[in-house]
Amino acid sequence: MTPVKATPAVPAGEGSHAAARSGGDAPLPGATFPSADVDDLTPEQLAAQWEEEKPPSAGPLANAASSLVVLGLGLSALVLSVVMGLGSPAAPQPGLWPFLISCVMVALGLFQLVIGRHNRDAEKFTRMSMAPLTGLVTLALMVALMPMIGFELPALALCIVWMRFLGSETWRSTLVVSAAVVGAFYGLFVLALNTSIPHLF
Amino acid sequence: MSIIVGFVPTPAGEAALTAGIAEAQLRKQDLVIVNSAREGALVDKAVAPDDVLERAAQRAAEAGVTVSVIQPPYQHDLADEFLDVAREANASLIVIGLRHRSQVGKFILGSHAQRILMQADRPVLAVKADGAHF
Amino acid sequence: MDFLNPVLNGFAVVLEPTNLLYCLVGVVIGMLIGVLPGLGPAATIAILLPLTYNVEPVTAIIMLAGIFYGAQYGGTITSVLLRLPGEASSVVTVFDGYQLARKGKAGTALGLASIGSFVGGTAAIIGLTFLAPLVASFALDFGPAEYSALALLGILLVATISSGSKTKALIAAALGLLLATVGRDAFTGETRYTFGSLELADGIDFVPIAMGIFGLGEILYNLEERHRAAKAPSKVANVWPSRADLKQASGSIGRGSILGFFLGILPGGGATIASMASYAMEKKRAKQPERFGKGAPEGVAGPETANNAAATSSFIPLLTLGIPANATMALMFGALLIQGVTPGPQLVDENPDLFWGVVNSMYIGNILLLIMSLPLVGLFVKILRVRAAILAPITALITLLGAYTINNSMFDVTLVVVFGIIGYLMKKFGFEPGPLVLAFVLGQLLESSLRRSLLVFGGDPMGFFGRPISATLLLVFVLVAVLPAIKTMLAKRKAAAAQEPETVQIKEKV
Repeated sequence: MTPVKATPAVPAGEGSHAAARSGGDAPLPGATFPSADVDDLTPEQLAAQWEEEKPPSAGPLANAASSLVVLGLGLSALVLSVVMGLGSPAAPQPGLWPFLISCVMVALGLFQLVIGRHNRDAEKFTRMSMAPLTGLVTLALMVALMPMIGFELPALALCIVWMRFLGSETWRSTLVVSAAVVGAFYGLFVLALNTSIPHLF
Repeated sequence: MSIIVGFVPTPAGEAALTAGIAEAQLRKQDLVIVNSAREGALVDKAVAPDDVLERAAQRAAEAGVTVSVIQPPYQHDLADEFLDVAREANASLIVIGLRHRSQVGKFILGSHAQRILMQADRPVLAVKADGAHF
Repeated sequence: MDFLNPVLNGFAVVLEPTNLLYCLVGVVIGMLIGVLPGLGPAATIAILLPLTYNVEPVTAIIMLAGIFYGAQYGGTITSVLLRLPGEASSVVTVFDGYQLARKGKAGTALGLASIGSFVGGTAAIIGLTFLAPLVASFALDFGPAEYSALALLGILLVATISSGSKTKALIAAALGLLLATVGRDAFTGETRYTFGSLELADGIDFVPIAMGIFGLGEILYNLEERHRAAKAPSKVANVWPSRADLKQASGSIGRGSILGFFLGILPGGGATIASMASYAMEKKRAKQPERFGKGAPEGVAGPETANNAAATSSFIPLLTLGIPANATMALMFGALLIQGVTPGPQLVDENPDLFWGVVNSMYIGNILLLIMSLPLVGLFVKILRVRAAILAPITALITLLGAYTINNSMFDVTLVVVFGIIGYLMKKFGFEPGPLVLAFVLGQLLESSLRRSLLVFGGDPMGFFGRPISATLLLVFVLVAVLPAIKTMLAKRKAAAAQEPETVQIKEKV
């Protein structure tokens, strides 16, 4: 990851505040520090800076996609509820209440798709999004393997992957801390609390 | 061409700064003070507080040296980050501070200074905390 | 003075060693969570729900409550020292708190915040002590019609008052209601939405949903967070505000307590809104508003008082009416259900030990927090040096392994992972997870009340408007539902005349 470059000729004006975030900044020789100016921001400027730091928002496609998923979900729930039988308000059948909710859901989904299409609340999936995906895969593997080989080994693998690959720890600290963590969980869940978690050792 | 100083708010870092200022005066080059800390935690004691960095920059400015200060975070290896900075700033000299570490200490905790020394592609000046006078 | 008897008995309950211990554990964990960015009190409470299975209901709620208001204390520390709000309710504290720290008066800011939090919390508890039995006795006359209206209103308020797209929050609530229908229908015994699965026939358990959506979802989301540069550890000296500062701030503390108390009772209100409202009010009232943003003591004391008062008073709707005011209260509701206790107006009379035990534990908890928060600041700042990369797998493992201990079943763990994915995706796409859990928790209650009231009315939905209370509630419901639409229409007309300043959206993570 390349650092923010130090260029002595950066003008110490408003523009440099935005750049002074997760990196460094070069002041004029012997002159005031940009971080000092950054600290003097008014609440409005501070709030604006936080807005800048938020993850980039996804485009209109995300809103449409999520609305369509909601619509799909609502429609399938609706169909299934009708199958269950609707009855009437006086003599309701099991499907009536789910039917009402699915109607509301479909209506909301349509609303979000059409009238809410300018909504940009969704966040973009960036390269950083590989991290939760990796995390998810390790969690799924743990759930799959735990009944067969106990929790220690999958937990160790999870710790190692999360600390080393997702968290850029050194190999030394990863291995040491992972072993310590799994040991602590073993001590807690198996020895101290005597739960029936599947364990190998 | 400039001089890079690896700065931390410790006696070793201050010693490196003193030596770096002296070298910059000698060679008539710019000084770049680099204070790099590990990403990931909110607080890290390797990060120098703003007033300490200000004072450092002031010392350099008073000695008549053109100085700039950067605080690039590093992810895996400080040495890699540091040497990247040196390359980009076209450093003629790297100045780092050393503190005394026992053999066991070096093995268990590793040594940024050692890695920088081993991997550097340009001259490195390593200064001990107590012997910083020129 | 007879009515004070159960109150005093409550103190006896709190002072039992187990309860004291769990109270301490709760407030310490709460403070820790408040200091560490990433996990919030809701996520932590969700993850620690399995811990509540083997203890008394009182003890469980005492600990969970401690986590909740402890987190309000903790969030202040990072706001003041690092200009980084630990919790959504500490965001406004950054503006003046950090400036005070820069002037070397970090201790003053923290001290003012602690004192204000203590006063706010205690005032709210006193208010609770007197108001709650009143509300509960009034609500004893509530029938199923009133409950349906109240539950509907609660869900709507939480969905609409939370920032972010209201439509999406309502969609989340609708999904929560749907999920609540999975399983056996209470009235007819038929299975709904189970797709033949035996495990689903008993319905989805509340705890895996909570742990997945709040706990795992938050953990996965934080994995993606962009890295921040670290800051230098700050030294905190003079950890007590001066007489002058206290005097200056005393008015704001008083006002903050009252404002926070009332804003917390409102469903969907809560600590964040209270802190923002208090800051705005203090700034308006001040004779020299320019001081705000530059280190005004009122700018720290007021919001911090308000957020603690609101956090405490948000227990009122839960403990007296059985209606959770926000997502965290929904978790408490679920925790009580696990213990076999159904919150409602009868709770005060039928379970006075539980009610007063919880309420009085808040006095003790606030005292503990006041004692600990000032000396332990240094320790908490040290904890900030632990890297997120180490904390993340630990919390993930706690969640997974804890999920197993609920029923000794891998199915629950699988559910947690599935809902973790759902929670992550919801956050990514802008859907608030809180309304989902709230609606899920209320879903059963809502459906049974609705069906029961329809039975009473003979199938006529207009019967709701026949009864005064439910009619009023439904009217408020309709008002709240259409108000935003009216507002945007009016705003569009005004926009031609004047420019609307952009208001910053701060997500209510409660």
